[in-house]
Amino acid sequence: MKEHRVAIRPPLERAGDTRGESRRLMDRWWTELDAAAEEDSLVANVFVMGSLAEILNTFDIPMSFPEIASLQTAVKGKAMDYLLAAEDAGYSPDICGYVKVDVGLHLTGRQHPLGRYPKPGMVVATNMCNTYIKWSEIWERQYECPVFVLDLPGWRGTGFAYDMGSETFKNDVKFVEGQLRELIALCEEVTGKTFDIDKLREILDNVNRMSELYRAILATNKHRPAPFNALTEGINYMGIANILRGREDGVRFMETALAELDERIDKGVGAVSPEQFRLLLVGTACYTNFRDFVGLFEQWNGVFVASEYMSYAGGGIDRGVHYDLSRPVESLAEQILITAQPSMSGIFFSHEWQANVVRDYAIDGIAYHGVKSCRTTSAGLPDAREWLMRNEDIPGLFIQSDLVDSRLWAEAQLKNRVDAFFEALQSRRVQVGA
Amino acid sequence: MLVAGVDVGSTQTKAVIMSDRHEMLGHGLCPTGAKLDEAGQTAFNLALAETPYSETNVAFVVGTGYGRFRIQFGDAQVTEISCHGRGAVHLFPNTRSVLDIGGQDTKAIKVGTDGQVIDFNMNDKCAAGTGRFLGAASDALEMPLGELGPLAQTAKNPVKMTTTCTVFAESEILGWLAKGRRIEDVVMGVHVAIASRSMSLLRRAGIEPEVTFTGGVTRNSAMVELISEMAGVQVNTSEESHYCGAIGAALYALDQVRTGAFAERGAPA
Repeated sequence: MKEHRVAIRPPLERAGDTRGESRRLMDRWWTELDAAAEEDSLVANVFVMGSLAEILNTFDIPMSFPEIASLQTAVKGKAMDYLLAAEDAGYSPDICGYVKVDVGLHLTGRQHPLGRYPKPGMVVATNMCNTYIKWSEIWERQYECPVFVLDLPGWRGTGFAYDMGSETFKNDVKFVEGQLRELIALCEEVTGKTFDIDKLREILDNVNRMSELYRAILATNKHRPAPFNALTEGINYMGIANILRGREDGVRFMETALAELDERIDKGVGAVSPEQFRLLLVGTACYTNFRDFVGLFEQWNGVFVASEYMSYAGGGIDRGVHYDLSRPVESLAEQILITAQPSMSGIFFSHEWQANVVRDYAIDGIAYHGVKSCRTTSAGLPDAREWLMRNEDIPGLFIQSDLVDSRLWAEAQLKNRVDAFFEALQSRRVQVGA
Repeated sequence: MLVAGVDVGSTQTKAVIMSDRHEMLGHGLCPTGAKLDEAGQTAFNLALAETPYSETNVAFVVGTGYGRFRIQFGDAQVTEISCHGRGAVHLFPNTRSVLDIGGQDTKAIKVGTDGQVIDFNMNDKCAAGTGRFLGAASDALEMPLGELGPLAQTAKNPVKMTTTCTVFAESEILGWLAKGRRIEDVVMGVHVAIASRSMSLLRRAGIEPEVTFTGGVTRNSAMVELISEMAGVQVNTSEESHYCGAIGAALYALDQVRTGAFAERGAPA
């Protein structure tokens, strides 16, 4: 009989708490979407970068995140059905896989593997991804629903940091605040409710607490061994941060996650054992072969201790959101501007953020994952890699596949590159006598 | 004491038998085909047949190439990226940049003084501009692969290929011939297209002399000439260059036997 060994770890009282809660909350979210589809009630389609959940939650408007729904079809092994349906309708193989899965879902009766998928009653988008706007226009044509696009000015200086005292910033805030007031008016119109500023304050306060907890969660991985994998478990934290942004149960989820991670740290339990390589992932995940992708790295006892994905796809919550509850709408405009910048200007300044992460999290190497169907997140990755190698002496691996399109997954070639990367990391470690 | 390196590539499988004094005692070469394990065994047997020894005299076998995990008699695996780096520095000790044009992969590798990989760049998962492109040209022209290089070197006015896609290669080649262009000019156009694409990978990794060219395409004299011209330095090649991956694998095998280092440095099971 083949021998099987299990990793012996100290018993953990909180083991599985976060995973269980994450599943429960995600199932509940799908139950709500399913019910909305059944009743044909109002649902807003929003995006992970700039959902404006603060305002939508003030009006109790349920939110659907098509990016999350699309990636879930890939995790369930069903994305190709929808991709092909969209391509049959004339969508090019080159465009965003998330869009095509969504188009396929709508063209084939909105039956998602996790439940019925509601049609949007309204759409809230930003210009943080250029595809968001074109995607919204598809729904607008299909369902004649109102579309609100928040126009965020790009930063005209150097680096991510805003000069909050500058005239430019003050003008930008006024520009964004004016648009937020237009969104509030639209929400009043579609719901028939009056805007309740005190409710917005409560929601902003919840986001402040969620942000603080989310940052504390990320910081746990500064410990060695890192208690969680920023790709596998990170996806759960990020998913809940999006769908429950500003809600009390979202705060409680973050508390649960942090408590579980603190226990792992107390007992010295790491995401991989023994931890050999601490990695940063730049780019997005690969959902078609999610476990296989992670396995390529875990096979070498490598753990993603940080992920850029947890930053920009977490709605900027990692940057530290500090809403001033005494002036809610203005503060919301300010914080959107500040936390949106890493996503808006990532192609120009992401390397600086990566250099900080390398230092703060004691990173051994960076994996850059380019996504074939998403130039927004993939452009600039090879340049950032070269910069980090040259200026920070950090080895970088560049690989490509896709978010949801399994035709772009080539395991043998990916494995070859990943294995060679780890061989080089090991050789480097032997050289320096680490 | 002997060790072996077996490189199961996408088109050809190479094997070498090496002594503990780094003497190359045997070489084996065969097409890879669909049965990777058999190809590995055949190349290994061919290499062993050039020596007076038997399999029991081989202390350690390292497999490399895409089929490395299919070598049943292998003791460990190392990627061909690491093996080509190590092999190139063994063949030419001052090597700092390695270009390997293989059947479906082109690799540009930056190496340190003892052959450790510092950085590498590879073609995308598409085989455009790799050795397979020459294979497509050979098929389209119904001309043996070995004749393409010498013919290309007689070109006077090479055509400018607009694609390095192996799928479209045939139609473009036939298109140029249909326009009345001389066959040697078309063949040289194919070579220039491959060399240009390979050089962009090498430039990205950084061209640092000495540059060593490895893999099966090193047997093509026109390609060696073009790569040298584009790199601005005479690239190193030798009779052994085709076997560079297998040589690197054998050197890793020797590490294991000598120091037991493989347990720390090798690929996980």
